[in-house]
Amino acid sequence: MPFRRFATHHPFATLGFVVVAWLFVPVGLKSFTRASFFELTAPVTVAADYARGLQEYWSLRLHSNHELIVAGRDLARINASYEFAVQQNAELQAGLERLESLLRLPTYNNYRLEHARVARRDFSGWWQRIVLRKGKNFGLTSGSPVVFSGGVVGRVTEVYATTAVVELISSPNVRLAGIVEGANHVMSYQGGINPTFGPPMGIVELVPLDTFASASSPKRLVTSGFGGVFPPGLTIGSVTKVELSTDGLFKTGEVKLDERLGSLTEVTVLVPLTPE
Amino acid sequence: MRLSLVTALTLLLLWTLVAQVNHALAELRVYLFVGSLFVIFAALKLPLRSGLGASLLSGLLCDANSPVDFGTHTLLFAAAHTVVFHLRDRLPRDDTIARLIVALLTNLALFLVFSFIQIARSPAPAAAWPRLIADLVCSQIFLALIAPWVFALQHRALVLTGTTRELTP
Repeated sequence: MPFRRFATHHPFATLGFVVVAWLFVPVGLKSFTRASFFELTAPVTVAADYARGLQEYWSLRLHSNHELIVAGRDLARINASYEFAVQQNAELQAGLERLESLLRLPTYNNYRLEHARVARRDFSGWWQRIVLRKGKNFGLTSGSPVVFSGGVVGRVTEVYATTAVVELISSPNVRLAGIVEGANHVMSYQGGINPTFGPPMGIVELVPLDTFASASSPKRLVTSGFGGVFPPGLTIGSVTKVELSTDGLFKTGEVKLDERLGSLTEVTVLVPLTPE
Repeated sequence: MRLSLVTALTLLLLWTLVAQVNHALAELRVYLFVGSLFVIFAALKLPLRSGLGASLLSGLLCDANSPVDFGTHTLLFAAAHTVVFHLRDRLPRDDTIARLIVALLTNLALFLVFSFIQIARSPAPAAAWPRLIADLVCSQIFLALIAPWVFALQHRALVLTGTTRELTP
């Protein structure tokens, strides 16, 4: 009878053994196992992305020459305006460096731009992140900011041999210091609210009492450049609602993020030239 | 060992497919969670050690690809495996409908436990629940659609590799 009772509870004894054994596994071994299992699945992720690229290529091959000519013409116009912007940017950069040397100001971090393709998107209600098809092989470093044409994408959290993981600004684990465009008061941004079929959202805290925003007159929230890896002036999102916080000293608000965060295919990683 | 590895390989295929579906659904902000499919077949058909081995391997695979404390999926899958294994003699485990119902109930339990573990990180936990419930409904529908295929795939993989002799009757 005792043996039979033990046999009945044997699975739970095994589970108890597994849990206790897991608690005593060294952290280093756990980290190694995590990295090993991620690297095991990385070729699958990358191969699936290559297959998607091939599919896209063959679907584009079906477009007519006329469509190609029109697209080329539009691209030439955009390139012309970008070339002008590049010249202006170079002039402004030179002016900035001149002022920095005259006033002996500390320089902003310099970055190398590394464009990368998104191999996998992972947007759950618990976290939002993407996997890039570049990693240590292209010199990406953990903590690097990631941007796209719509502003901030997120931050590189893990770097592997040929892939890197980016935590998006819509993820609850990401916090940034931001300012409303044109103002100088730094506020705290945190991602987290991501409704189904709707745009990703975040929240903003420590908003000064004299800041007003609504859905009809939103305020653009940009990175402050203080206390973080992000250069100043990058778009985070639009503050669409502010209300008095419970302590009455500040306001809290909602930030509407770019809807394209859910359909990114290419992003740019700002790799610091002088890593800390 | 062979049973665990063959089953784990089919679960790797399942993980790949679900990851691709989630990639496509990211634009709609819908996420599918099918944690129970990593556990049910192994718990209902395989001996304890082989089945638990496969569940642990798939848990490690999910943990490595999620920003959670390493071991969260692993221990949850192990717990789910143990409970289902304990109950399996009372279930018509060769019937696909019965397996499907067990898979749906296990997935519901895993999803809720996982949500309660993760929700603490959210800045507004109450506001996160509508999204999580929508994800849960979509996940259950998706699971009901693919579960019979996954069970058949796992059984066929064991037959092809000649490991069905090691299965418990």
